[in-house]
Amino acid sequence: MSREDVDRRTFLKATGSAGAVVALAGCAGNGDQTPEPTPEPGDDSTPEPTPTETDTESGDGEEVETFDMTVTAGQMDSGLDPQDHAETPTDNIVSQAYDGLLDRDKQGGIVEGIASEWERVEPGTVRFTLREGVTFHNGDPLTAEDVAYSIRRIVFDDVGIASAQKNDLGAVSEVVPGDGEVTVNFDGLNPIVFQLFATNGQVMQQSWVEENGTDFINRNTNGTGPFTAASYDSGNEVVFERFEDHWRGAAPVGTLTWNAASESSTRVNRILQGESDITVNVPPQEISRVQNSDSARIAPVPSTRIIFLQMRYDVEPFTSQEFRQAMNYAVDLNSIIENVLDGFGAPTGQPTLEPFVGHNPDIEPYPYDPEQAEQLVEDSGFAGAEITLQTPIGRYLKDVEIAQACADQIDQLSNVSCELQQREFSSLVQDLTTGNIEDKPAFNLLGWGNGEFDAAQTIIPLLATDGALTILENDQVDQYMADAQSTADPDERSAILQEANAFIHDLAPWVFLHQQFSVYGVSNRIDWQPRNDEIIDPYTATLR
Amino acid sequence: MALGRFLLKRVLQGVLVVWGVITVVFGLRFVTPGSPINAIAPLDASQETRRAIARELGLDQPLYVQYVQYVGDLLRGDMGFSYIKGQEAATLVFSKLPATLELAVAATVVAIVISIPLGVLSATRRNEPVDYGATLFSLGGISTPNFWLGIMLVLVFSVELDIFRTSGRGVNVGDVVTAIWTGDPFLDTLVAWLTFITLPAITLGTYFTALITRLTRSGMLDQLGQSYVRAARAKGLPETLVRYKHALRNTLIPVVTVLGLQLGTLIGGAVITEAVFAWPGLGTLVIDSINLRDWPALQGSLIVIGAGFVVVNILVDAVYAYVNPQVVYD
Repeated sequence: MSREDVDRRTFLKATGSAGAVVALAGCAGNGDQTPEPTPEPGDDSTPEPTPTETDTESGDGEEVETFDMTVTAGQMDSGLDPQDHAETPTDNIVSQAYDGLLDRDKQGGIVEGIASEWERVEPGTVRFTLREGVTFHNGDPLTAEDVAYSIRRIVFDDVGIASAQKNDLGAVSEVVPGDGEVTVNFDGLNPIVFQLFATNGQVMQQSWVEENGTDFINRNTNGTGPFTAASYDSGNEVVFERFEDHWRGAAPVGTLTWNAASESSTRVNRILQGESDITVNVPPQEISRVQNSDSARIAPVPSTRIIFLQMRYDVEPFTSQEFRQAMNYAVDLNSIIENVLDGFGAPTGQPTLEPFVGHNPDIEPYPYDPEQAEQLVEDSGFAGAEITLQTPIGRYLKDVEIAQACADQIDQLSNVSCELQQREFSSLVQDLTTGNIEDKPAFNLLGWGNGEFDAAQTIIPLLATDGALTILENDQVDQYMADAQSTADPDERSAILQEANAFIHDLAPWVFLHQQFSVYGVSNRIDWQPRNDEIIDPYTATLR
Repeated sequence: MALGRFLLKRVLQGVLVVWGVITVVFGLRFVTPGSPINAIAPLDASQETRRAIARELGLDQPLYVQYVQYVGDLLRGDMGFSYIKGQEAATLVFSKLPATLELAVAATVVAIVISIPLGVLSATRRNEPVDYGATLFSLGGISTPNFWLGIMLVLVFSVELDIFRTSGRGVNVGDVVTAIWTGDPFLDTLVAWLTFITLPAITLGTYFTALITRLTRSGMLDQLGQSYVRAARAKGLPETLVRYKHALRNTLIPVVTVLGLQLGTLIGGAVITEAVFAWPGLGTLVIDSINLRDWPALQGSLIVIGAGFVVVNILVDAVYAYVNPQVVYD
């Protein structure tokens, strides 16, 4: 693949088309429209999922060559319990063995999981119809009671564990199993319920969970997913074997080895040597090494993570909207993307990314205009301000370098001086998560992944008054979110969120930076396309 | 008898040291920023969820209660439960120990095999090209950072020459041993193991090799200048016997000490090498545990490393008595 094949413009185009698909899918997620079937491996069409009877057939009945495959991540799991974690590396591993009621396609659209139909029966009640013939890896059939138990285990503290995913399914009040269906009741409307269930809520077998201890559950799997763990070496490697009776049909991948290397050069070396087929997070400085090789290629995709500098509304000089806007004009975002990220990022001007429900296509990123920035600083009354930008170290791709560039560009304004303070992420997070706005830094770099593809899932936690991580108290933003969360009609809701994004663009509580790209190295022996949401699905890989 | 009393005394001292390690690593969690809750819960988790997780982890208990509970559990052989990994900390730690020991021993073997002959050669051919070469090698070995050397070795011998594996521990020494009686092709297994272990062992052992080479060279030079060597030569002993039976044996006394101490260091000090080679040992577990604030796993790892260091020190003392009869214990 040539360098031109993967430049930012190409991916912006891809993102644009993906956005349209996802926006439609997001709208379909309320159950008012017919759900889309899951795409099959190596196939962009949407055939009906059909169980296979042979080792060499995919779900659509086509002959597919079976092969073994290795994925190298940057970090291994924190145990194999799919409901007792809250990070992507673990989710990537456990999702090979566990299915949710709903799933997502490569662009983030909602598709079938082990629920074949879903609908909103009342404003606060939804119903999932379960697919017939789904079995767990141990051969037992999936029941509605298993699904109900799984949801309860996540959201209720008195069912086994205090799950870190407790808030990920919304305010569930009760779960009622029925005949081949499960009804979930919420406290209130929950307008994005299907988006939440498409990203969260993997299903476990009640009897298996209750019969086995935490230690066992974290080292073994028994889901309904396409792979089952054959061996588990904590922190080192999980070897999966394909599940022959998976409802989508047996995967083309026979044995899936999942390992990790924290060093990026080690990951790249593995892919160049053919020791791995997919590797995550190829950093900009390693990209040419992969591209120039005969054995592998680069596969970048816009992720669901936005990077920004947040400014606390109650601390001078960030109390001034002019000053906050000035910070946006002072940062040369395009230069940072080109020079620091080697083009693998997309500029933003609102908290909602392009593929998400509620993204406002009319908003452009702030242009780089230092003169305008200096004028706005003068207008704000805070000329001569001295500010400090705090940044985590190594948490996000090139975070320190990006923060250095931003701080330097702000410092170059004649009437503002800006220093950079690097902080270990755990230390920074400690300040961000206390629940008190006064504990938070006045000005810091942060990234936010939004696997639900919905504007509210970014704006509410980060910018609404009662958000867990908020740095803003603004009645208008709160009103927008209250309206959005009480509106069931997807078009009407999307319009509200778009208005909110336009308002927040002008309000400028952040210096809007970029959409982070996920950059994968992929062996030339396989065909595989990455997903937007950082989830790796080896099920869809085929031999070239 | 004197040796027995001495070793008993050292064991008791070692217990105190390990208790100190336990106390320090337990205390570290309270002065280190960051909470395991942040590694478990998403950033936007509610305060209610955070409190529920804290209760589940026992983090809402007073400090002294947690400490007494922890030490009590340790005395029963329980290192605690890794709430991050959802597993017993002892299981995690002891599953990683063999990989670290394998790498440490392999690095030590590499060091011994190269450094002692090179040091002897360098001393016996002083101011000759081989001496200059050995000195240059030692200087380079001591000055080269592990991470750089590891990456360079991989680029040359794995990526370019395709001789060794880039990383991982696909075959371990246990596989080689079991191949002897399971009927697996022994030679193939051995070669496969060597493709995994060679580069990390060289990377980890290079500094050590350089150190021992210099130590051996200076020790040999010192011994060869002693009067007992002149006497041995004067009475007509062959030079080989003088060098390798008399001078080298005395040279090895400080070398054994350094070897032992270094082995202890290697057990806990292979963090960078393990990271470069994705070697699944204690070093990797320590780093992961720090990043995730997985205190039970971290404490368990550090206690095992500390205890390992103490044990190696005691063994060195015992070996020292064997190598050097002049040692007097009181």
